[in-house]
Amino acid sequence: MSGALSYLLSCIFVVAVHGSMLLNVYSNGNYSSINDVIGLSAAVILLDAVYFIIMPFFKHRTYAVDFMLLLILNMSMIFQSCFGGVHFDTKHFITIIAALVSCRIGYMLCRNHRWIQTKKKFIWAGIGILLVVILLFTGSRSMWIDLGFMSIQPSEFIKPLLVLACATSIAEQQNRKKVWGFNVVYDNLIIFGITAVVILFQWWCRDLGSIPTFAAIYASCFFMRICYPKAKFSKKTLIIAGSVLAVAAIIGIILAPAYVKARLFADIWSNPDEDGYQQTKALISIAEGGWFGKGPGKGFLHEVFAYESDIVFATISEEWGLLFALMTVLMLVLIVAMPLVNPPRSYYHGTMCAGVCAAFTMQMALNIFGSCNMIPFTGVTLPFISAGGSSMVTSGLMIGMIIAAQSPVFANPTNKKNKKKHKQQKRRTV
Amino acid sequence: MESAVYAAVLLDICAIVLIFVSYVEKKAGARRWSKTSDDMELTDEIHVFHLECDEILIGRHASADIRIQDMSVSRYHAMLNVTDGKWMITDIGSKSGVFVNGEPVRHVRLYEGDVITLGNRNLIFRKRRVHK
Repeated sequence: MSGALSYLLSCIFVVAVHGSMLLNVYSNGNYSSINDVIGLSAAVILLDAVYFIIMPFFKHRTYAVDFMLLLILNMSMIFQSCFGGVHFDTKHFITIIAALVSCRIGYMLCRNHRWIQTKKKFIWAGIGILLVVILLFTGSRSMWIDLGFMSIQPSEFIKPLLVLACATSIAEQQNRKKVWGFNVVYDNLIIFGITAVVILFQWWCRDLGSIPTFAAIYASCFFMRICYPKAKFSKKTLIIAGSVLAVAAIIGIILAPAYVKARLFADIWSNPDEDGYQQTKALISIAEGGWFGKGPGKGFLHEVFAYESDIVFATISEEWGLLFALMTVLMLVLIVAMPLVNPPRSYYHGTMCAGVCAAFTMQMALNIFGSCNMIPFTGVTLPFISAGGSSMVTSGLMIGMIIAAQSPVFANPTNKKNKKKHKQQKRRTV
Repeated sequence: MESAVYAAVLLDICAIVLIFVSYVEKKAGARRWSKTSDDMELTDEIHVFHLECDEILIGRHASADIRIQDMSVSRYHAMLNVTDGKWMITDIGSKSGVFVNGEPVRHVRLYEGDVITLGNRNLIFRKRRVHK
């Protein structure tokens, strides 16, 4: 099957899924005017069409992740527009476009490993600037910076930068220096320091839910370093690292604020109107939704706080059914699993993919298991599905990294100047 | 209810189609990669090593992509990598060094016909030949 045919087939199926969802909104949805459904349908199909036209200009080696991203984003648009009655969610539509744009930016920035590795100091500086912004403008008061027309969560933007910092320093494993009898790789110490500071800042900001995500990114980076040629990690080093991690986790739990401890050991059903309010309501609504849901916009969970972000899985289960909610999660898992089909071709791209996959997997697990009361409730967003501009833009950037890892720079020179050089070099070799 | 079932079923089929498409793209990508990388290979008198990755580790260690079982070759000897269609070789701290056409090098671009010396072993960097 040719590339054009598979591209066309993917377009048809993506549009078919969105079309069938919109048909479900039309036939089962809770809307006051048919114009609401028409407006939503027009926006979704138009975005599909525009993206299908734009995508080939970027000349990727694979488009499967792009199609999955578009599929998920427009599904998210339909979900969010149906919560509490069908309407057109303009804010979410803008954040979706922002996610698609940031995905392109992530792809363009990260595909050339030689170029980005020379810019790693700028990445460290970027993380430093964001930490200063967190120090000055957020903190224990609030995690967001309110700009009036929108709020920004600066800690979200550290995630892609931390992934990039880990990936760009992977090749430094060969530059080991002897310091006081120990083999030291300076970049490893810097990455460890950055992660430790970021986690401390998150602790200070009371955003404990995002700490596991940063820890997962660092853990993936650590394992990729073990796999790197010439990276000597003895069993002793690994045991020490594991012990330090375990001690840090125990100290963390002991020093955790009272509300965190309460959440860790809370029985939600003993106090369903206070501590367990969100989770009990989420579980009841998942049960009431059944396999096929009550119908778009017909749920009651939209009256509960953070229905569109922290417990969005339950809200979707209630209105669209558990089957559809699980399928949505499966699509997210498929995006994360795509590097297994089209593996990255360098250690830099591999580390980048591992970091992104670790972050997404951790976020999905915290959100879904948290809203189902399988683990303590954390308030982490579900990538691409939850509402929230900062989360959407950073998730877009990280998907751009996965696409870049699957389509690294490996092309013959395209512009005339480079073509001439290339020809001259070839002549010299002959 | 029925339209919800159709939507779920279509989503299932779409997921399968996209997985299938990604495998098709993988094959096409491998073909395109071979074309743009000038389809090179390394060879000594006996073995032919196909270069099918962006980063290729050469050494004596079992984890090396190109394993040369010769005591004069370090366990992690050199790294071959390719960007923008240019093949480069980097000495990654080997004991006996890397020589290209007799010249000791740390990091240098490779051209077709270059002879790479690692320890006592000579490898020729050449266009891939169709082996019947």
